[in-house]
Amino acid sequence: MMRRIGGVLAILLSAAVPLATAEVSQDLDADSGLARWHFRDGALSLELIQRLPDQTRAFFLGRGFDADSADRFARACVFQAIVRNRTPAGAAGPALAIDLGRWRVERGDVPLPLPLESEWQQRWSASGQPKRAQIAFRWALFPMQQVFQPGDYNWGMIALGPAPGSEVGLDLVWHENGQPRQGGMQGVRCPPDETVSDQLGDER
Amino acid sequence: MRRLGVCVFGLWMLAMAPAWAAGGMGQGMTPLPDRPPAPEIDLVDLEGQRHTLAQHRGKVLIVNFWATWCPPCREEMPSMERAWQTLKDDGILLLAINVGETEDQVWTFTSNYPVNFPLLLDQDSKTIEAWPVQGLPTTFVIDPQGRLAYRAIGGRAWDDPVLLEQVRELHDAASH
Repeated sequence: MMRRIGGVLAILLSAAVPLATAEVSQDLDADSGLARWHFRDGALSLELIQRLPDQTRAFFLGRGFDADSADRFARACVFQAIVRNRTPAGAAGPALAIDLGRWRVERGDVPLPLPLESEWQQRWSASGQPKRAQIAFRWALFPMQQVFQPGDYNWGMIALGPAPGSEVGLDLVWHENGQPRQGGMQGVRCPPDETVSDQLGDER
Repeated sequence: MRRLGVCVFGLWMLAMAPAWAAGGMGQGMTPLPDRPPAPEIDLVDLEGQRHTLAQHRGKVLIVNFWATWCPPCREEMPSMERAWQTLKDDGILLLAINVGETEDQVWTFTSNYPVNFPLLLDQDSKTIEAWPVQGLPTTFVIDPQGRLAYRAIGGRAWDDPVLLEQVRELHDAASH
């Protein structure tokens, strides 16, 4: 009897949160030479492309941040994220709902939440970063929550938090037509803190 | 000095590289079945001309939110200009609202991406905050009654005949 109940529970649980049959690949971006991770499952396509801290520093210095603030964010394991609903536009397919607040970074024993945009913005306000810098930050980051209809995609920066060069796992949660889904990637490497001149030096 | 310029350009290219490399466009537009009213716009364009939604009521309007540093925004701009050249004689309008940047930054951008449709300035981001936008670029098509008819999240090839047809159908429905 107990075994039967256990079996029914297992079926119900697996229906409630389908485990991913995901494809995960990792390669080097052909143009930049930076590492890229690509996760695909159901309608979801997620690409994470390393952003060297020097790139991110340059971007935010150019938007009006002071050096300390630009450096603080740049060293927080920043990736360029691209999310796409793989269902072709016009085709009947699920809406994808992403909530970064439910993603977790695995490093050590306790999975940690991603640093939230609101936390960064509080820091920028407290340190007196100009309004135009804060506006650029808001729109350059990947939105915390977003729904993707078939054919939609979006991009933006995601900060996972750990120091440059750290290796982490990423637990993903999303919804397809209201149904919860989960998956993950292991061995994601935070971009190393190499400067642009280091890169040029390597080429010479 | 020239070397400094090359270095700055190189740094900027590198800063943008991963996003360019990822590239790609979205497809189609999502119809908004309940067609909510479009939030108000009251902004000035690069020529100093004021634009409000009320003054454009009765026409189909494409409203695009963008920024110069946003790679998919730049990628879709040339196709948006081609779409504009195709649609403008039908009385369809296109407004591209830049978010959070200065007039100088947008002027500089237009030297590399020349466009003829109005580029509006939302420097304090108050307008975009009132619209249902989460990321850049996002584009809406507004029907002649001032309602949000379609939405596209991410860049598009705006001269795609399928997209143009969706926009024209809204215009034709209002004309008949």
